Order: sequence, then structure tokens, then C-alpha cells
Amino acid sequence: MGLGFKLHTQYKPAHLRKTVLDMAWHGKTVHIGCAFSIIELLAVLHRSFLRYTDNNPLAEGRDYLVLSKGHGVMAQYACMLERGWIGPEHVTGYFADGSDLKGLSDSRIPGLEVTSGSLGHGFSVGVGMAMGAKLKNTDQKVYALVGDGEINEGPIWEGALFAAHHQLNNFMLIVDENGFQAMGTTQEVLALGSIADKLTAFGFETRTIDGHDEVNIEQAVRELWASDSTQPKAIVAKTVKGKGVSFMEHNNMWHYTRLNEDTYAQACAEVAGAQP
Amino acid sequence: MRAAFSDSLVALAKKDPKVLLLTGDHGYALFDAFRKECPAQYINAGIAEQNMVGMAAGLARMGFKPFVYGLAAFIPVRVVEQIKLDIAHDNLPVVLLGDGAGFVYSHLGTSHQSTEDIACTRAIPNLTVLSPADRFEQTLCMQWAYECTGPVYMRMGKSDRGDVHREPLQAPLGALLPLHEQAGADIALIATGSMVKTARELLEKTLPGASVYSVPAIKPINTQALADVCNQHRLLITLEEHHTDGGLGSLVCEVSSTHAPRRVLRIGVQDRFSHGCGTYAYLLKEHGIDVDSIEKQITAFVQANPK
Repeated sequence: MGLGFKLHTQYKPAHLRKTVLDMAWHGKTVHIGCAFSIIELLAVLHRSFLRYTDNNPLAEGRDYLVLSKGHGVMAQYACMLERGWIGPEHVTGYFADGSDLKGLSDSRIPGLEVTSGSLGHGFSVGVGMAMGAKLKNTDQKVYALVGDGEINEGPIWEGALFAAHHQLNNFMLIVDENGFQAMGTTQEVLALGSIADKLTAFGFETRTIDGHDEVNIEQAVRELWASDSTQPKAIVAKTVKGKGVSFMEHNNMWHYTRLNEDTYAQACAEVAGAQP
Repeated sequence: MRAAFSDSLVALAKKDPKVLLLTGDHGYALFDAFRKECPAQYINAGIAEQNMVGMAAGLARMGFKPFVYGLAAFIPVRVVEQIKLDIAHDNLPVVLLGDGAGFVYSHLGTSHQSTEDIACTRAIPNLTVLSPADRFEQTLCMQWAYECTGPVYMRMGKSDRGDVHREPLQAPLGALLPLHEQAGADIALIATGSMVKTARELLEKTLPGASVYSVPAIKPINTQALADVCNQHRLLITLEEHHTDGGLGSLVCEVSSTHAPRRVLRIGVQDRFSHGCGTYAYLLKEHGIDVDSIEKQITAFVQANPK
């Protein structure tokens, strides 16, 4: 793939957040807060775990990153830009008429394995992929990233039963527990209680971590894969919706709000200031 | 018909290890042979249809050919969104098998009856919709479904009404199957699934001069062949154990209106749920699609449309 620009492969969170801001600015799009809570999770998966032969997003035998939480798709686009799977023109041309990259995950884009946005879908597709890898006796791993609001959906719990029953220990569920869903906090809308306790009760080997601490994330993923248990794996990542920009953090308005010149400039400055 | 289904599925699975059977905890005795012959290709996904259909998409992405079995009230109707997004959107080769369509579960009431499944699936892009009438069509449809590189919904209705064909069939996907064709016929009966048998009975009893066609593939349909049937007859009568809106009757009207406008009588389930409990025959009568009720509708239709 001729890139014509410098490939970043460090997946620095500040850099990924800047890409998200640029896309949101050019596309006049929403869901910025949803993307910011999963930046470090995706950065670690791309940097340390996901295997793509020759950096090919469609490589046979690859690991599968299932972005069931389609609303966070800009965070994945930012990682895809670093991989060279999309180019800068996709950032500046985001949401242009007839363009490919949508506001939610579309499986026809290499790098996005499932079509999601209607919630609770990608998770089941991922369980099927994990089952398929078992049946084919490959060493492929499946990561399904879901939102905490998303686990209101019934198929999540259907799939959780199945994954445990069939001992899909090549399957890792990652819950982005940012505490918010569309209309309010998860506590206000439909209280979830302890997600980790629930997943443990469903038969998952579960870790609860700080979802913005890259060392913590990497360690948890390694530990879970190193386990010799036959249980499916789960990480409950405690995150902050809007993480990285002070006026977006814990503010559900940034599920829906578009950037203006002032907020774009201020957000870019904060993200740049956070860069080590 | 059920034996033809089971035999076809077992034969396909034995020949092709990529064939998997997923069931939502249904098909108790039906899958005895499959479980015995191909146990590693059998997955009971539990009473969890949404997850099962999503998983089938994941398995298809991994190179498998999943056949997903449930009652038509659940597969496809309960999981229309999973079919649309997880399977049809990417043209994945998943075969969805909806058993007991129409009024097969006559004693159980609305939850297990399915008269909207064709309407729910026809509008989904990429999805092939099949509706076999007897064991010969069942075997043909299983072959079509297996060979299809995209998704398929197969509607399996009342299975013990007997044969409408005399021998094994060979036809391309989308073909109309003529059961009785005669030059100069005034009326064409066009039927699908269980109602093909009814059309045959009407031919013998009421309309000896009519042509009769079976439609085992609702989508895709050979539009030219259907337009030819419209052109060659003055009056068209469609028969289906399904709502008159969105199914075969609608399809024939759509093709006719574009290619060869004709008067069409759509025999099927009117816009209502079942009221009473009873035998299959009782329910056909309640909905006005037993032979006696249909004869009355046809008589009125013919009188209203004199030559």
C-alpha cells in the first residue's frame, strides 16, 4: 500500500485523540466521548496483541477485533490511520457525500469486522468467530469490545452463556465501563450493579482494570491469555467518557455535541498538552 | 417432507465438513440422524435465537456453511435485525430454516404461528427466500440453499400434505414449476408451499381448465417466466398460507403490474391473527383458506370478471 505519509506505529493516545478530534471536526460528527473512553484499550490491543500478517487487515488467520460498540468507531479509525489502512484524506473527508467511513462500524471496511451500532450484535458474531476458530483448531483470538450501556441488550447474556458452556477461552470480552449511556448514567437508566460479578457468575475469568492505564491493560490481557483455564475471558475496564479533554470528561453532552471552532481548538490544545 | 429435509441435510454435512447445523433447542427427533452421523457439526445454541444467528454470521466469516434451524415464528421473525445486519449485509452464506410456518402449530396460538415471515424477509437485500411444497421441492431447495453463496431463508410449512410432483426435480433457482399447463387456459393458479397441494385439489375438483404453477423460490423469481404466465392467462389466482400482503400474492401483483397487468385474486391470510384453537383444518377454515372457502372466493372473482 503506497502511503505517501509517515506511518505512526506507536499508537500514542494523545495522537489517536487528535485524529478523533480532526475527524469529528471535519465531519461535524458526534460520539466523541464514546471514542475517547476506548482510546487506550485500542492502543494496547493494536500495539501489543492483534496479529495481522503483513499488516493486512484481511489476513487469513488474523485475530479478530470486534467493535461491538460501534459508537466508538472513530477511535478504531485513528488506529487504522496509524496502520496505514486509511489515509489522511479519510480524516479530512470524513462524512463527505459518498465516502466510505460511516459514523458507526461497517464491516465492509477492512479493519472493521462487524456492522454495529445496533447494539448487542457484534458480540454474538465474535462468539461465533471464537467457536469457528475452535472448530478449525486455529490459535486465533477474538476480542469483543462492548459498551456498558450495550450490555442492556439480551443477546450479550445469551452469548455469554454460550461462550462459557463451550469453553471459548480464545474469546475476550472487554467492557468499556464509562458509566454512561445515551440518556444518562447507567445507574440512572438501568442499573448494572457489578459487571465483573455478573460476568464471573456467567463463567468468565474476569479482571477489573483502569481502562486508561496502558500498563494495567497490557498486563491484564497477558495474564488472562496466560491462564490455563478453559473459561472465556473478560476485562471490565473502568473508563471515563470523554477522557482526555477536561470539558468532555464525565459529560454526556459529548455523546451528541459537535465541535465548534473554539471547542475544537481548546480540545486540540489539551490533547497536545497531554502528549509526553 | 421432513425425511427429505433430514436426508438432504445429513448428506450435505457428510459430504462437506464446513456444513454446521445450529438449532435453538428445537427439532427433537428431527435431528436424530444428523446427531448420529455428524455429531461434531451439530450445535444446540440453546433457547437464544438472537445470539445463535449472530454466531452463525461469525461462523460463516470463518469459512463455515451454517444451517440455522428454528420455528418460523422465531427464525426469521424474532431475529430479523440479526439477519439484516449480521448476515445479509455482507452476503454471508448462512441458511436460515424456519419450520412450522403458517398454521402448523394450530393448537398453540399466535406465538407459534407464522404468517408474516415471507413479508419480513423479502425486503432484505441479498436474501434468497425459498418455500418448498413437497419432498421433491424440499430436496431441490436444500440443494439450491447449499449452492447459494449468499444467505437463504427457507420456509418449511405443513409437511404431510403429500406430493405435488411425481419425481425428483431439477431446475435453476427462481424457476416456476408448472404442474398443469394447457394452451388457452383462462385462469392460472400460482401457489407456494402447502397451498400447492390445495391448488392441485382445485384443479381436479373446481377448475379443470386452469394452469397450475408452484413457486418454490419467492426470491429471486424468474420475472420473465412469471410475466409470461401473466401474459398467457386472463385471470390470476395466488395461494399461500401467509398474509396476503408481502408474500406470493404481492409478488405476482408486482410483476403483473409492470409486465402484464391482470386481475389477481390473492388467496391467503387476511390482516388478522387466529382467533380460535383447533386442528390445522379448522384454522384453514377459520382463515378462509380451506378448499370450500377458496371455491367461493374464486366463483365470486370469476363472476366479477366475465370474459
